[in-house]
Amino acid sequence: MWTRTRSYWPYLLIAPAVAGGAFLLLYPLFKAAVISFQHFRMGELIRGGAAFVGLDNYTELLTGAEFWEVLLRTVVWTAINVVLIVGLSTGIALMLVRLGRGLRLALMSALALAWAMPIIAATTVFQWLFQSELGLVNWLLVTLGLESFQGYTWFADGTATFAVLVVLVVWQSVPFAALTLYAGLTTIPGELYESARIDGGTGWQVFWKVTFPILRSLFALVASLEVIWVAKCFPQIWVLSQGGPDDATTTLPVYAFKIARVLHRYDLGSAVAMLTVVILAIALVSNLRRMVRQ
Amino acid sequence: MKRLLLNVAAVAVLVTTIFPVYWMFLTAFKPTRDINSPTPTFWPADPTFDHFVTAVNAPGFWTYWRNSLLVTVGAVLLALIVALLASFAVARMRWRGRGVFVVAVFAAQMAPWEALLVPVFIIARDTDLLDSLAMLTGVYFMITLPFTIVTLRGFLDAIPMELEEAAQVDGCSRMAAFRRVVFPLLAPGLMATSLFGFITAWNEFAFVNVLIIKDQDQRTLPVWLSSFRDVFGTDWGATMAAASLFALPALLLFLLLQRNVGTGMTAGAVKG
Amino acid sequence: MRHRILALAAVFALSACGGGGEPEPGAASGAASTTLTVWIMDGSVTQDLLKKFETEYETAHQGIDLDIQIQAWDGIGERVTAALASTDAPDVIEVGNTQVAQYAASGGVSDLTGRIADLKGEDWLPGLAQPGNIDGKQYGIPWYAANRVVVYNKDLFAEAGITEHPKTRDEWIETTTKLNKDGNQGIYLTGQTWYALAGFIWDEGGDLAVQENGQWKGALDTPQAMAGMEFYKQLQALGKGPKDADEATPPQHEVFAQGKVAQIIAVPGAAARVLEVEPGMKDKMGFFPIPGKTADKPGTVFTGGSDLIIPVASQHQEEAYELVKALAGEKFQTELATTMSFVPNRTSLAGVLSGDEGTAAMAVGAANGRATPNTPNWAAVEATSVIKQYMTAVLTGADPATEAKKVSESITTTLNSGS
Repeated sequence: MWTRTRSYWPYLLIAPAVAGGAFLLLYPLFKAAVISFQHFRMGELIRGGAAFVGLDNYTELLTGAEFWEVLLRTVVWTAINVVLIVGLSTGIALMLVRLGRGLRLALMSALALAWAMPIIAATTVFQWLFQSELGLVNWLLVTLGLESFQGYTWFADGTATFAVLVVLVVWQSVPFAALTLYAGLTTIPGELYESARIDGGTGWQVFWKVTFPILRSLFALVASLEVIWVAKCFPQIWVLSQGGPDDATTTLPVYAFKIARVLHRYDLGSAVAMLTVVILAIALVSNLRRMVRQ
Repeated sequence: MKRLLLNVAAVAVLVTTIFPVYWMFLTAFKPTRDINSPTPTFWPADPTFDHFVTAVNAPGFWTYWRNSLLVTVGAVLLALIVALLASFAVARMRWRGRGVFVVAVFAAQMAPWEALLVPVFIIARDTDLLDSLAMLTGVYFMITLPFTIVTLRGFLDAIPMELEEAAQVDGCSRMAAFRRVVFPLLAPGLMATSLFGFITAWNEFAFVNVLIIKDQDQRTLPVWLSSFRDVFGTDWGATMAAASLFALPALLLFLLLQRNVGTGMTAGAVKG
Repeated sequence: MRHRILALAAVFALSACGGGGEPEPGAASGAASTTLTVWIMDGSVTQDLLKKFETEYETAHQGIDLDIQIQAWDGIGERVTAALASTDAPDVIEVGNTQVAQYAASGGVSDLTGRIADLKGEDWLPGLAQPGNIDGKQYGIPWYAANRVVVYNKDLFAEAGITEHPKTRDEWIETTTKLNKDGNQGIYLTGQTWYALAGFIWDEGGDLAVQENGQWKGALDTPQAMAGMEFYKQLQALGKGPKDADEATPPQHEVFAQGKVAQIIAVPGAAARVLEVEPGMKDKMGFFPIPGKTADKPGTVFTGGSDLIIPVASQHQEEAYELVKALAGEKFQTELATTMSFVPNRTSLAGVLSGDEGTAAMAVGAANGRATPNTPNWAAVEATSVIKQYMTAVLTGADPATEAKKVSESITTTLNSGS
């Protein structure tokens, strides 16, 4: 190990990244923060001359019931999705390890294809599959004998729409997590399993006693990334339901988009975004601490 | 018996995973009449290239295709170079502020990009960078950079430092050691990492929508793709054909490189 | 070693600056000519007609070069906002008549009040002129209008023994019930065709929102509006239109083209789209105005259409105005109306439409045309889809009174959210 250098080299090496981040991320973020303290709407965007209004936007948000409802919904949305994604991916990763070469390659290719499918295209296909009259899902359910799904309107019911979105997001997110976890599993030496088996462990015990501890930090990383991605997930929800019906699928980013670019209240939208960042940071604080220690 | 169950489950997962992708391609080849028929068909009984012809002949298709490629490849390459430098510093050197930098990179992934549209627009307007692919490339570069650094660092961590040290003992400079020993080992990692950046930048359309205003020739493919839909109707067949053409580069890249996809993250995380 | 790093840094710097490698737009054109950028919405005007206009206009105006760009509807609100806020905006923009008010109110659109006389604005269609007018100043110049009619399948009408098209709502329900059998759909009406609902509500004497003492108030919970919704539900049930989608998913003209649907509510121009899918439908399509409550008065319809605006940020105000004048003038209006089956922007030009069954049906309805509530915030109500969601809820069995109250409150909040 090269010991701690007093040279300027590391700083020179990270300089481009820092410079890019400063101009293209921190500066816009700072501007967004400023906007969140201003009266900034369509008129101000076009004419300029926004006035500072102190904490008005935050007060409006935090005292209204809507923000808290949306926040709770976002937490539920994130929890359901992340649990499903991590659970299913773990299952698929374990499955991949045990499969024969041919089937494994086929499944990995399928996962890669699903991952690579453009978000807009995937969302459009899902919207279509769940169409009430000509949709494939209803057709399939009716063909299987579930007559009550004849013309079932998935997007009329909040819970059903929520469920469809969960299916879509899980479908899109599982490939990354599964392939990553699979790669992790392949790094575990086979002997460890064998000795565990000899000791009489069942498959379940082996997973919790051998696999999970070794891959703990990988699981943590995958889970944190999924938390970030799912909580911030926007285009899927917007295209499919626009946060409806009856706001049943309005999560924080959808909410921010609605008030910012539909109602042209950029000020309030920026405030929502700032709060989102703070909340995410708090949610992932343990992970961040672990990284500092590293 | 157990084996059979496993295989059945695997096939079920495979079908579920692949079906939407298959459906997209299938629809692109179906004649318009069959697309909205009440009884679905699962095989293109009467395949047609009409939708592809419509899509490819639509005004601007090739321009947008080129722009998308230019911006995406530009952003990904830029991100790779910058991330390689930074991840080298993180993985191979110990310095004051390293921990803070690592956390900052991770936190940067939380950036609420949707909410930064307006600030980025204002910055572009004030620096006279509206209607320019350079600004777009910059934004995509920044969106992909944090993840690229995290992943590359993982790959670097997985390469034993002793290899470089041995090379240096043999008289190579540190840079030469890196280039001759580490870089070849890192190549698959670089490819895998670039995939993620590619797919992210390739998909993005919100920024194009506000950063490219008057100069229509600077628009990219996703914007064009969404333009197939309008208030009076939608040409599903052509939309799906366009989506297929749009997905193709990403799909091909993935199929080629999928072996390496998960490894970077794993290496870094397992070690840490 | 240092050199290498420097070289890398140089590569970085180069790619950062030259990342786009984009050519300078317009640099090639001669210094003397002025390029006017025009945004026209997708589906408004055919390519042929635009090409013809461009050629004629450029011949008549030496030194003007038109760059006509077709804009997709998706994300158009953000693009127009961004254009208005930019420093070098397009010179003329077509905007929907339900959207124009918010742009006019933003301060980014040029005031053309002084030009009304020059544009012969005294008999502009009110459904186009009013939304473009804020506080007595005219920002939006009426361009064209269209409203929905009933497009029907002549074969299915003949099969069911129907010889005359319905004139009243009762007849309409009766006819549609007759048509709705043997695997055919009486009418394909999707659950979220809110323009049609607006018409039914207006017929009952209700409205989408009303202004009281300077405050807007959502009005879908009035008895009149709820009666309109009730009729919509009754009609919608006479076919298999999905209750949770609008007419674009799947496109209703494609469903109609399959020949199993007796009627759809659409603009006459939809007939051309049907033919694109199924040329066999030629001569099988008929049109009639949406029936009203009584035979002497056809149904009230939503006047859809477009206005033209000139952004303040346009660098060619005078030239842009000349162009607007040509686009809104009698010659182009006549061509536009006849080619596209549109209603021209001035009532005195309506004569050009006679002779075509579809546009004649439309013109009957147009006499009863109405616009959405005239406030800059209306566009936001549309964009949040609350009315669509309300319709779906009622159609799928939710309590109409509760839902109506909820949506009205939501509209009230949105309309009064200030700017």
